[in-house]
Amino acid sequence: MAAVTHQAQAIELGGSRSVEAASDHELLAAIRDGDEVAFQEIVRRYRNPITNFVYRMLDDYDRAVELAQETFIRVFTSASRYQANYSFSTYIYRIATNLAISELRRRKRRKMVSLFSPFTNDDGEAIELDPPDLKMLQDETLIANERRSAVARAISSLPQKYRAAIVLRDVEGLSYDQIAETLSLSEGTVKSRINRARNLLKEKLSAYM
Amino acid sequence: MSGCNYIKKLIDEADKSDLLSFEVNEHIGGCGDCERFANERASLRGLLAAERRVSVPMNFDAMLKSRLVEVKARSAFSWLSAPGYMRLGAATAGLVIMFFAAQYAGLFSDHSNQPIDSRTAVAVPPIAPPTVAAPPISVPAQVTTASTASRVRQYYPQNVKSGRDVVARAQVAPAGFTAEDGGVVLVRGRNGEMDVPMPTVSVGAQPLLYVSAGQRPVRSAANSF
Repeated sequence: MAAVTHQAQAIELGGSRSVEAASDHELLAAIRDGDEVAFQEIVRRYRNPITNFVYRMLDDYDRAVELAQETFIRVFTSASRYQANYSFSTYIYRIATNLAISELRRRKRRKMVSLFSPFTNDDGEAIELDPPDLKMLQDETLIANERRSAVARAISSLPQKYRAAIVLRDVEGLSYDQIAETLSLSEGTVKSRINRARNLLKEKLSAYM
Repeated sequence: MSGCNYIKKLIDEADKSDLLSFEVNEHIGGCGDCERFANERASLRGLLAAERRVSVPMNFDAMLKSRLVEVKARSAFSWLSAPGYMRLGAATAGLVIMFFAAQYAGLFSDHSNQPIDSRTAVAVPPIAPPTVAAPPISVPAQVTTASTASRVRQYYPQNVKSGRDVVARAQVAPAGFTAEDGGVVLVRGRNGEMDVPMPTVSVGAQPLLYVSAGQRPVRSAANSF
C-alpha cells in the first residue's frame, strides 16, 4: 500500500508539479526512483540546517561540511528503506546526529589534543591558545566574537547526550516530539536533558547573560 | 497558586521564552524567584538562538556530486571489494573442506558395488582336463586354458555382468596360469587392488572365502563351474 502511494507520488511529481512545490515525502519517493533533480531539491532544502547543526555539535566547520555531505549520501543510498512514519526532517536530523555522535566518540578515543589542554596558567588551569590576530577589529565585533566563542566552548563542554538535545532545541528550533524521535528517546527524557543542559550552560555563560 | 517547581517546568518547556501561559505570567507577577528564572532562561535561549548560522561552502554541491558518483561506482562493484573476496574465499575453503571430509568418510565410495567388490574375486584357473564338467554350451575338450578362460567369459555372460567384470578380468589377465599353478584372487580394497595367488583351486563348488578387513564372507557362487 505504501509502495503504491509512493509510486503515485512519484508519477505526480514527474508530471505537472515542480520539485519546489513537492513535499519531502514526495521528493523521497522520486529519489527512490532515481530522480536526481528531487535529490538536489532535498539537498537545497536541508544543506544549511544540517551543516549548522553538525557544526554546533563538533565546533569544526570543515568536518561539519563533510559530515553534512555524508548525511545526504546516506539519504540517497537508503532512500528505498525510508519509511514515511515520521517527518523527513526528523529522519535526516537523526542521520546527522548519529554521524556527529560517532565523530565525537572517535575524537574521544583518539584523545585529540585540544588547544586548551597543553597550556596552563600559573594556577594550573587550562588556558586557550589564542594567537594574535593582526586584523583591526571594532569593539562590537570583538565582543560578538568573544561571546560566540564562549557559547561554542560552552556547548562543546557539555556531555554528548545533553549537547544533541540542546542544539536541536535551542539552536535548530525543533519541537520536543521531533527531538524525541530524532534521538529515539521519550519526550520526558528529552525535556529532562534539555533542562540539565540549560542549567550547565547558565553556569558557564553567566557573564554573557 | 501553583508550586514554583511546576511553574519553572512550564517556563523551561515553553515553545518560546516570551510566550508564557497566563498561569505562568500570573505566578511570575508575585514570585521574584520564578521571575528571575524566567529571565535567565529567556536570556540563555536568546544567546543560543542568536548564534550566527553557518552556511555551506560554494562548492558543496559539486563536492557532494563527486562523492555520490564515487559511492555509486563503489556500490556497483561492491562484490569485488576485499570483504567480497574474503567471503568468496571462505566459502570456497569451506566447500573444499567439506568435500575432503566427505571423501575421507567414504560418502563418495560406490556402495552399490561393495558386496561384489569386497567379495574376493576368484579367478578360476582354466580347466584343462576334458573330464571337467562341460559348460552349458559345449566346449571342445582340447581347448587350451587360455581359450577356456576366454570362453568362460564368452559362454557365461553372468561373469561379465556389471560389477562382475572383475572376475572375468582376473580370469583373462593371468593367462599363463594353469590348474596346477593355481588361481589368483583380486582383492579390491580402499587402498587399491591386489592380486593374491591362490595355490589350489577346487573344481565345482567353490569354498567360502573369508576376506579380512571386516568384510563379510561371501560365497563366490557366480564363479563356480
